[in-house]
Amino acid sequence: MLKPLLCALLLAAPLTLAARAAAPDSLAAAASEVPRPPARPRWYQPRHLVLQTGGGLGMITAGAGYSLRDRLDADVLVGYVPQKYTDKALTILSLKIRYSPWTLPLSPKVWVKPLSVGGYISFTSGLRNPGQPGQYSDDYYWFSNRVRTGPLVGSQVSYALPARATGHRRNLSGYYELGTNDLYLLSYAQNRRALSLADIAVLTLGLKLDL
Amino acid sequence: MLPFFRTLPARAVLPVAAALLLSACEMLEFSPNDHRAPQEQRDLTAQNMARLAATPLPASDTLRFVFTGDSQRFYDDVQDLVQSVNQQPGIQFLVVSGDISDFGLGREMRWVDDQLGKLRVPYLTVIGNHDHVANGRDAYQEIFGPLNYSFVYGDTKFIMTDTNGREYNFNGRIPDMPWVNQQLRATDTRRHVILSHVPPQDEDFDPAVRDAYAQALREDPRLVFEMNGHRHDYGINQPFNDGVTYVNSYSFQKRRYVVVTVWGDKEFRLKQVNF
Repeated sequence: MLKPLLCALLLAAPLTLAARAAAPDSLAAAASEVPRPPARPRWYQPRHLVLQTGGGLGMITAGAGYSLRDRLDADVLVGYVPQKYTDKALTILSLKIRYSPWTLPLSPKVWVKPLSVGGYISFTSGLRNPGQPGQYSDDYYWFSNRVRTGPLVGSQVSYALPARATGHRRNLSGYYELGTNDLYLLSYAQNRRALSLADIAVLTLGLKLDL
Repeated sequence: MLPFFRTLPARAVLPVAAALLLSACEMLEFSPNDHRAPQEQRDLTAQNMARLAATPLPASDTLRFVFTGDSQRFYDDVQDLVQSVNQQPGIQFLVVSGDISDFGLGREMRWVDDQLGKLRVPYLTVIGNHDHVANGRDAYQEIFGPLNYSFVYGDTKFIMTDTNGREYNFNGRIPDMPWVNQQLRATDTRRHVILSHVPPQDEDFDPAVRDAYAQALREDPRLVFEMNGHRHDYGINQPFNDGVTYVNSYSFQKRRYVVVTVWGDKEFRLKQVNF
């Protein structure tokens, strides 16, 4: 049931990008010599694209996101894990939110967001044994196999790409995140001697391109 | 001094960088159901069987092993159990009667191995119902090994079998009776011990296979006893009143385990140890 939705999301992201890319060209053709600032993106148009790996959200994970005041990011992601690593190939749909309060410029073209804090919720489809109706009584396994949620912290470094002919500036950012999930966190909370934070940590590496 | 500094990056920085990169790769988890594991935490059943084979038990010597089960989310207790077992004299190996993990996740199985790997003796496991959750069956096979296997130590063959029928929607094929029968009918060892997670009298055992299983055990003259976990508490009884003894393990959380001593044809003693 999730698959058509995921496909639609994946297809929609490049389409909105193409629609925006087409707009400045047609303006230029309308005999304007001076490059005009690009039209403000509509509220529903994503502000950035992301590509990442790990974090429990997929081996290859792509998505699009929105930004608020350059501090709050909300991304919708679709991840894929090949069968080789997990019995049956998994599709993971996730929503991730990150808040990065500070921006430190390193040079006119490079800046760092030293701290991002956030969280995610993910839905996994493709598990072999997620529990079928009637297979178990309600309290047999009290946790969900499909839905995971967890906190994350990270940092981001950004680079200003050369401006487009329209004067529109874009940034390419690289980020890492250290996170965990609800089940790991519970295990750690109850076993502070045998488990360390390093045991439950999960790493994400990603790229983000502003549109 | 100069060559020292010239080779310093290669000798000091590179290994550190490699270690960081390696641990970063391990931390790049694609999903909690991702079953990848470092080489030393793969095929643990085969690794432990090789360790056991390296210290063979002479024929007719007394067998002594620790019987426990259901480690699940009790990692601190696993740590304490290891400390206690390491002080027991004359222990040859330890068996875990399933439910190594709680959520069927590879990382959970590796957390238990992080502790049980510190045992002075090898340990062997059988798959439990919790190890079947989500994609756990595959994780168990990657990290531990086969769902049905046997090993011989001294005069005794241990038959380890998957009895988690509910996880297969009671498909009538769990436990795998052709395999179990073949194992029980073999006559090349003096004694048999069969070990599984869900006991046959439990409601999570496939009712369609229950009678065939109990019968096969009853008809094996070499069988010392049947061993299970799942119930998280010690028990010894003959639920089918047919002369076959069933022993259930404590969970790690109970902070008790059983030392099993076997000698003669079918003589045994069970000693409960607190830790």
